[in-house]
Amino acid sequence: MKIMIKTLFKHFALCIVLCALLCGCMKWEYGLEEDFNASGEGLFITNEGNFQYGNATLSYYNPDTKKVENEIFYRANGMKLGDVAQSMIIRDGIGWVIVNNSHVIFAIDINTFKEIGRITNLTSPRYMHFINDEKAYVTQIWDNRIFIVNPKRYEITGYIDCPNMTMESGSTEQMVQYGKYVYVNCWSYQNRILKIDTETDQVIDELTVGIQPTSLVLDKNNKMWTITDGGYSGSPYGHEAPSLYKIDAETFTIEQEFRFNFGDWPSEVQLNGAGDMLYWINNDIWAMSVDDTRVPVRPFLPYQGTIYYGLTVNPKNGDVYVADAIDYQQQGMIYRYSKTGELIDQFYVGIIPGAFCWK
Amino acid sequence: MKQIITTILLCISLCSYANDSTIMMRGSRRIPEIELFGKRPLKEIGTTQTKMDSITLKENIALSIADVLTFNSPIFVKSYGRATLSTVSFRGTSASHTQVTWNDMKINNPMLGMTDFSTIPSYFIDDASLLHGTSSVNETGGGLGGAVKLSTKPANAEGFGLQYIQGVGSFYSFDEFLRLTYGNDHWQTSTRVVLSTSPNNYKYRNHDKKENVYDDEMNIIDQYYPVERNKSGSYKDLHLLQEAYYSNNRGDRFGLNAWYVYSNRELAMLTTDYGEDTDFENRQREHTFRGVFTYDHLGEGWKVGAKAGYIYTWMAYDYKRDLGNGVMAHMTRSRSRINTIYGQANVEYYIGSQWLFTANLSAHQHIVRSEDKNIILQSGDKGIVGYHVGRLELSGALSAKWQPTDRIGLSAVVREEMFGAEWSPIIPALFFEGVLSRPGNLTFKLSGSRNYRFPTLNDLYFLPGGNPDLRHERGWTYDAGLNFAVGKKEVYTLTGSLTWFDSYIDDWIIWLPTTKGFFSPRNLKKVHAYGLELQADLNLQFSKDWALSLNSTFSWSPSINIGEPLTAADQSVGKQLPYVPEISANIVGRLSWRTWAFTYKWCHYSERYTMSSNDITFTGRLPKYYMSNVSLEKSLHCSWADWSLKGVINNLFNEEYLSVLARPMPRINFQFFVGITPLWKK
Repeated sequence: MKIMIKTLFKHFALCIVLCALLCGCMKWEYGLEEDFNASGEGLFITNEGNFQYGNATLSYYNPDTKKVENEIFYRANGMKLGDVAQSMIIRDGIGWVIVNNSHVIFAIDINTFKEIGRITNLTSPRYMHFINDEKAYVTQIWDNRIFIVNPKRYEITGYIDCPNMTMESGSTEQMVQYGKYVYVNCWSYQNRILKIDTETDQVIDELTVGIQPTSLVLDKNNKMWTITDGGYSGSPYGHEAPSLYKIDAETFTIEQEFRFNFGDWPSEVQLNGAGDMLYWINNDIWAMSVDDTRVPVRPFLPYQGTIYYGLTVNPKNGDVYVADAIDYQQQGMIYRYSKTGELIDQFYVGIIPGAFCWK
Repeated sequence: MKQIITTILLCISLCSYANDSTIMMRGSRRIPEIELFGKRPLKEIGTTQTKMDSITLKENIALSIADVLTFNSPIFVKSYGRATLSTVSFRGTSASHTQVTWNDMKINNPMLGMTDFSTIPSYFIDDASLLHGTSSVNETGGGLGGAVKLSTKPANAEGFGLQYIQGVGSFYSFDEFLRLTYGNDHWQTSTRVVLSTSPNNYKYRNHDKKENVYDDEMNIIDQYYPVERNKSGSYKDLHLLQEAYYSNNRGDRFGLNAWYVYSNRELAMLTTDYGEDTDFENRQREHTFRGVFTYDHLGEGWKVGAKAGYIYTWMAYDYKRDLGNGVMAHMTRSRSRINTIYGQANVEYYIGSQWLFTANLSAHQHIVRSEDKNIILQSGDKGIVGYHVGRLELSGALSAKWQPTDRIGLSAVVREEMFGAEWSPIIPALFFEGVLSRPGNLTFKLSGSRNYRFPTLNDLYFLPGGNPDLRHERGWTYDAGLNFAVGKKEVYTLTGSLTWFDSYIDDWIIWLPTTKGFFSPRNLKKVHAYGLELQADLNLQFSKDWALSLNSTFSWSPSINIGEPLTAADQSVGKQLPYVPEISANIVGRLSWRTWAFTYKWCHYSERYTMSSNDITFTGRLPKYYMSNVSLEKSLHCSWADWSLKGVINNLFNEEYLSVLARPMPRINFQFFVGITPLWKK
């Protein structure tokens, strides 16, 4: 009997050892960093990733060589970009990547992609706008304040209180500057454009537009353009036909409203480099001159059975880039068209490509 | 493939080891626990079930049912962290394809469709069964993957009884368990209390971020991966369960079960979060009451039963940040209230020993108020984004089970469901069972069913994004399997099963972002899930003092998107669904000697893809992992009380692992329990 018990113990111990050996198979690959030297023209693509999964990424595309590099932030720095990469802006050779649900803005070298600093503890950053070398504004969602930061010291230095917003309903988005004034569209459950005096950092005026203005640009004629999404069915805030608005930056008044059909979902108003052509998404991709008085009848690029998620125009040659998030759980596709609408290139990037930034 | 082979070999080696050992031990002493195999109950003809007894469920009473299922079943448990949302899914389906009942009352959240198993303490469950695929149609509809059936049972107490267990663990975790029982010829009552608290701030190496070291000019001069704590992950859970059973010993049985849950949990920060944990609060609170009244009457060859129940759930989610002046302001303030009224009637009627007919009708009336966001309207007034709806859910089933000979059994079930005003098509399920060989009790099983799952209330009505035009999900499932059971009376039992399953699910509902910045559900996917499930259980008593049990499961479950590509660029067709492991396996070994017991638990999940295209990227990797836990238990007896002492080591090999991206799991950690059961003077 003792022998048998001993044998049993041996077998049991063998099993445990076997398990232990298997347990040694978990390996983590981290700490590797790649060297990049991406001089010349280029396009950064911020890929949001899936909310709460921390898998946002940054891609870089060279329009001359048609070569794309994905996950460049991770590969250059050996760490993740974070959760929901919202937007990016470049100033003086430094790229500022705003990562919404990580409460952070990373500053990177735009050639090596190496981190050179970060601003942390933001509420829910969306977009960044530079006033000067030592002052920038950062808009937020779920906060009724626009954060003032010092990009040199990577510090939050103050706040701009936005009127008639609570923290819960707070939403400030894209910014453009005309003279000493910065204009910002208020999107989620909002219908306003705010005017901020950059000397006093105070909101000094506001303009009511349609429900939920999604984006804001300033054309060559100093006219601002914003496009509303009209809300959604069942929203207590209202649901209406969306519109494209032309707003005079000097007088801060609406000059023209182009109304879309009820139920349309327009978004992403963009300009070309000269600031004379306007582009936006409304199922199809649309384009019109900033001087036109009517929205065109036919789209620039027809709908192709998917939801376009992002849009940009090469400021140098007018090529149009459209982001397709496909099913939002795989690498999205970027389609590059000439300014006459011919497909030039297509390439995969990261999950949910949402915003672009030209070098 | 290597891991498949490795895992199968491991299971086989354990089983063969058990066989060898058993042969060696023949002729050893009598063990009363081991039973020989009898005729299978008519009710279970052709079904594929995983049953968990109270030893399995109570092996570590500090565990939730999610933890128990991880180590004792072939289903996938997706855990967002310790004491955080844990969902389970069968055979490559989603969490909402798993129907969950507690004492026959459905407890899936009607808003979300799924159940958080981390909020169900194993201490409160006396009986658990997993009904795989088709087998779930016997109990409920909508279980496209399967169903989990959780029950409580009378304690069979004689007089007063008391049990108190105190648990202390790593990360300042404290668990208290108390059970009071009373029983006589007619009455059985039980009161159970569980209180668990922990700051849950375990340490981990954060590979997803680096800390910067700056010089005076704010240039980065060094970087390193920080060792961080699980920030904002504390929890406090209180559970109370009151049971009362009455039997008049003339066939009438009454039961009352009332379960109250208070849960206050922070939602831990992601590994990629650069916010200060003191400046943000991310918290979920819940009050839930579940009550069921049961009446059964047992007659000669028949049984009728009725149940009435009520569920109330209040859930709050608060996301706040410090404004810099110590005031925490709400960024999100979400509240939901769910009232569910439940009723059920069932009849069983036997004709001889060959026929069983059953009929069952259940109703759940949900009334839901969801308030997700407070806003300022255009008029300047305050407004709330949310919905307030009610929905009646009816489910009825008729079944006939026939066993013409000892070797053959047939069963047919027809179920029909109504959600709101919409009726499902007929849900049929057919089962066949045949004994191929009496020696070894080798049995062949075959079953097939059609099934449907209605959209959840959030799928239909959530603001923003709810889609009232959603269709119900449709599925076909086929199972074929072999079971065997061998044993030698009073020496050993060895049982095993091998099941092949094949399922098609159409109009799979998934939530996707829209250009408006919110998510919305769509009927998008068509999925083919298929694979193998293996189970093997060995119980062995090779001397008066020594006993050994080994339980193992293995599952290979490809779950493939077979829908049309969304665009020409879509790379997801023909690929495994994200977050569904192809392979999972586990083994639990328990060796006992007199009043000592040693338990080794091991589980494995293969790599899970995080993309529908199955691309493996730097930022989207969830490597396979193997997890080992051990425990040592000692029972003591003195004249006035029974004592138990238990030490547990979780994550024995101190592995760094993730179940979900950006949510690290704890490394090696310890628990110690002391239990006392006073022996009252009779």
